[in-house]
Amino acid sequence: MRVASVELQNLTKRYGSIAVVDDVSLRIEHGLLVCLLGPSGCGKTTTLRLIAGFVEPTAGEIRVGERLVSSPSHTVPPEQRNMSMIFQSYALWPHMTVTENIVYGLKLRKVDRDTMKKKLDAILSTTRLAPLADRYPGELSGGQQQRVALARALIVEPETLLLDEPLSNLDANLREEMRFEVRRLHDTYRYTTVYVTHDQSEAMTTADVIAVMNAGKIEQAGSPEEIYNRPRSEFVARFIGSSNVVKGKNLDDSRISFAGKPLRVIGAKLSAGGETAVSIRQHDIRISTVAPPQTENVVPATVVRQVFLGGSRDYMVEVADGEQLRVVTSAEESIAQGSAVYLHLPPEHCRALSR
Amino acid sequence: MSALISTAVERRPAAIDISRPVLYGFAAVLIVLIVLPMSWLLVYSVTDRTGALTLDNFFRLFSESAFLDPLIATFIIATSSSFFCCAVAAPMGWLVARTDMPVGGVIRVLVTASFVTPPFLGAIAWELLAAPNSGLLNKIFRAVTGAPQEESLFNIYSLGGIIFVVSCYTFPYVFVLVANALDRTPGELEDASSILGGKRWYTARRITIPLVLPALLAGALVAFLQAMTLFGSPAILALPAGFHTMTTKIWSLFQYPPKPELAAAAALPLLLLTIFLLRAEHMILGRRGYSVVGGKYGAPRLIALGRWRWPALALCLVVLLNPVFLPYAALFNAAFAPVASHFLTFSNFTLHNIEFVLFELSATKLALRNTVILGTTTATIGTVLALVIAYVTARKAVPGYRMLGFLATAPIAIPGIVLGVGLFLSYTRPPFILYGTLWILLIAFLTISLPSAYQQLQAAFRNIHPELEDASRILGATRLQALRQITAPLLRTSVIATWCFVFVGVMRELSAAIILFTSETKVISVLIFDLNESGDLGAISVIGIAMLVITFAVVILVNRIPGFGVVGAGRLRT
Ligand SMILES: Nc1ncnc2c1ncn2[C@@H]1O[C@H](COP(=O)(O)OP(=O)(O)OP(=O)(O)O)[C@@H](O)[C@H]1O
Ligand SMILES: [Mg+2]
Repeated sequence: MRVASVELQNLTKRYGSIAVVDDVSLRIEHGLLVCLLGPSGCGKTTTLRLIAGFVEPTAGEIRVGERLVSSPSHTVPPEQRNMSMIFQSYALWPHMTVTENIVYGLKLRKVDRDTMKKKLDAILSTTRLAPLADRYPGELSGGQQQRVALARALIVEPETLLLDEPLSNLDANLREEMRFEVRRLHDTYRYTTVYVTHDQSEAMTTADVIAVMNAGKIEQAGSPEEIYNRPRSEFVARFIGSSNVVKGKNLDDSRISFAGKPLRVIGAKLSAGGETAVSIRQHDIRISTVAPPQTENVVPATVVRQVFLGGSRDYMVEVADGEQLRVVTSAEESIAQGSAVYLHLPPEHCRALSR
Repeated sequence: MSALISTAVERRPAAIDISRPVLYGFAAVLIVLIVLPMSWLLVYSVTDRTGALTLDNFFRLFSESAFLDPLIATFIIATSSSFFCCAVAAPMGWLVARTDMPVGGVIRVLVTASFVTPPFLGAIAWELLAAPNSGLLNKIFRAVTGAPQEESLFNIYSLGGIIFVVSCYTFPYVFVLVANALDRTPGELEDASSILGGKRWYTARRITIPLVLPALLAGALVAFLQAMTLFGSPAILALPAGFHTMTTKIWSLFQYPPKPELAAAAALPLLLLTIFLLRAEHMILGRRGYSVVGGKYGAPRLIALGRWRWPALALCLVVLLNPVFLPYAALFNAAFAPVASHFLTFSNFTLHNIEFVLFELSATKLALRNTVILGTTTATIGTVLALVIAYVTARKAVPGYRMLGFLATAPIAIPGIVLGVGLFLSYTRPPFILYGTLWILLIAFLTISLPSAYQQLQAAFRNIHPELEDASRILGATRLQALRQITAPLLRTSVIATWCFVFVGVMRELSAAIILFTSETKVISVLIFDLNESGDLGAISVIGIAMLVITFAVVILVNRIPGFGVVGAGRLRT
């Protein structure tokens, strides 16, 4: 089975004067599952369609293995890239049965009948579609349709599999199930997968590498742990996991001034005289009505709002300079609105952001 | 599973994508179809017999009363028909779309019937009804009042008569635009006004009417355009009345001795005015987007008419008497009565006319054959052409697709008679001498039917998600393979419908055919026109009824296809 790396080099796509994909560089190693994660309109689909060859780049290159497949001067058409794609709409052909949909790619490749039959049976059992083989797509549920789309894409044994928000049309339970299905099939066949989503937990649970996109650029690419624990930019910190981001003047190489108090932080060394953004997760902040034993990183605040969420409690607090922070605590700890409280922001959770 | 892994699938060999050359070929075909005749039109209009550059043709056009009078007549007819159309169609559209008037659906069907009636057939039917001496209505009038033979209630051979008949078959354009606009205007917009305290009529005046005003204006322009470019009705009614309109004048310039340069000069203003009016319509309708901003809306709330329900229905039926009931009755009467101007009774019922048309009239067979040949070839070629262009524009498949779409819709701005003149000038000279053959009619019909076929198929493409094709391409299909295996089967019903529409359109086309036919290339519509000149109204009625039956069959068939319906019917041209 061939697998090939996919490499994007300074990839740019402009519509008019707007760069929808802006100087993106990313190397995806053989057999990895990469998630492109980002808010709506950030250019994920466009990046995926660039890789598939439906869209020609304005600048930059795409290589698959050693082969140059996209550049502004020459684009290999999608049918010659040996990729497969699962579309947001599934794009199942309504006039063909499940079987006809699935074997379409094999027919194009002029595979002989016996091989085709073998492959079809194998994929039908892997995706548990055998009983539905003669139905039309209109007669299937959303989850079944999605598995047909998967089967159709996988049976041709692509070097690269592209998925564009494949689970967004499913209900929550099914989505979870299919998420593992995608990962399981990826592990079975070991193709290179590029997976587009705007759902953070979907990316976390399936990806080897997450590339967080914002406004056409890749903000940060790395393993899920890396992205979650060591966000490099304010955007990533806010988008991944729910972090508060506060800004303050640097006091020395590891402390900034926050609400009139010094705040010790970790991460990069701070430069003297500058200003730094610091992220701290909502559930890492301690809140109490009495002064905590620690002396460092303790800030007085007032409770502005308190919401009971069943499993937890969600506070909005305001510190001396008027800045508001969100704090998540266990459900038992109830503090009335308007109370004066102390916030403890443990230094090991206060991460200085480089951007 | 193991089978899947062990036998690697070979990547299909790289095929050359021939779609681009094919597409540029289509563009070239379109340019020849449209640009060639229009260029010759322009060239002829500014040259004299010797080929020297001159503006003399235009000068004559705007100074000699032989040309000025038709110009004025055309303007009067177009303006007043447009006015009457709006006056009748707007209230009717509102009654049908927004009130609880009974059987609104039936009224819509009847309006569609007048829509698809070929106007020249309507004009002939009204000859049967309201010719001063032999007209059936005048006979009834004399029988009832005992008035003398010379006296008549109606004279259809008059300016008023023409305006009336033209309006009868033009008002559906306005009706459809207004009714559709009202259908699309969400009832919540009116409810929002009511909840703020607007009374029913206040709401109608401040909300409903402003919302449909653009549609009404656009309808007025379209009606003007139709009336201006119509050939059949004025040729049948104005010539006996002793005057010309622009279209009949252009036609007469091809009678012996032909004056093609003057015809070209007369055709050019029609062309420019049509382009201008269509631009205006586009601008007016283009701004209507504001009526469907945001949210999800329910069905419009109907206004209760109370005791006016039945009078309202009666009013609609009285209006529809004119384009539908009376003319159809007259055609039926003429088809089965021994003499067209006599009333049909049980004792004088005869099948003589049918016999005459089928077996005695030698021209029928030839005209029928030509019409069937032209209808099928035009429909087939036109549908294929439209299909490819619609694909390219709907999928933005090549750079310059906009140009292709523009070329495909451009003929909509070319009135049939203008196209006829342009084609005559282009194809009576080397290198393409096509005049006298069916080819020239094929070209004319192709050009005329292309815009509607294109628009219908483009709408059909919009209902097919582009990802369906993308999915096939990423699995290894070339663009043409994807088109054949995925898109074509999904489009099949729309394609059949388009084919039928083009066929019916060809059958009804008169204004270009009248310039381009020769004795060997007569078609049904021209035959009807000829029979009218020779006074064989009974034979016309038989052919006309057959034509109507075929047309209705197609319209009913097409209306069963979801999303096609009246929009499609709105594109029938004559
Ligand atoms: N053909 C096009 N012409 C012009 N602009 C385009 C075109 N395709 C996409 N865009 C613009 O590019 C931007 C990115 O689009 P894209 O579809 O890649 O977003 P996305 O990240 O997939 O968003 P979503 O999560 O909503 O699917 C959008 O602002 C969109 O309007
Ligand atoms: Mg997208």
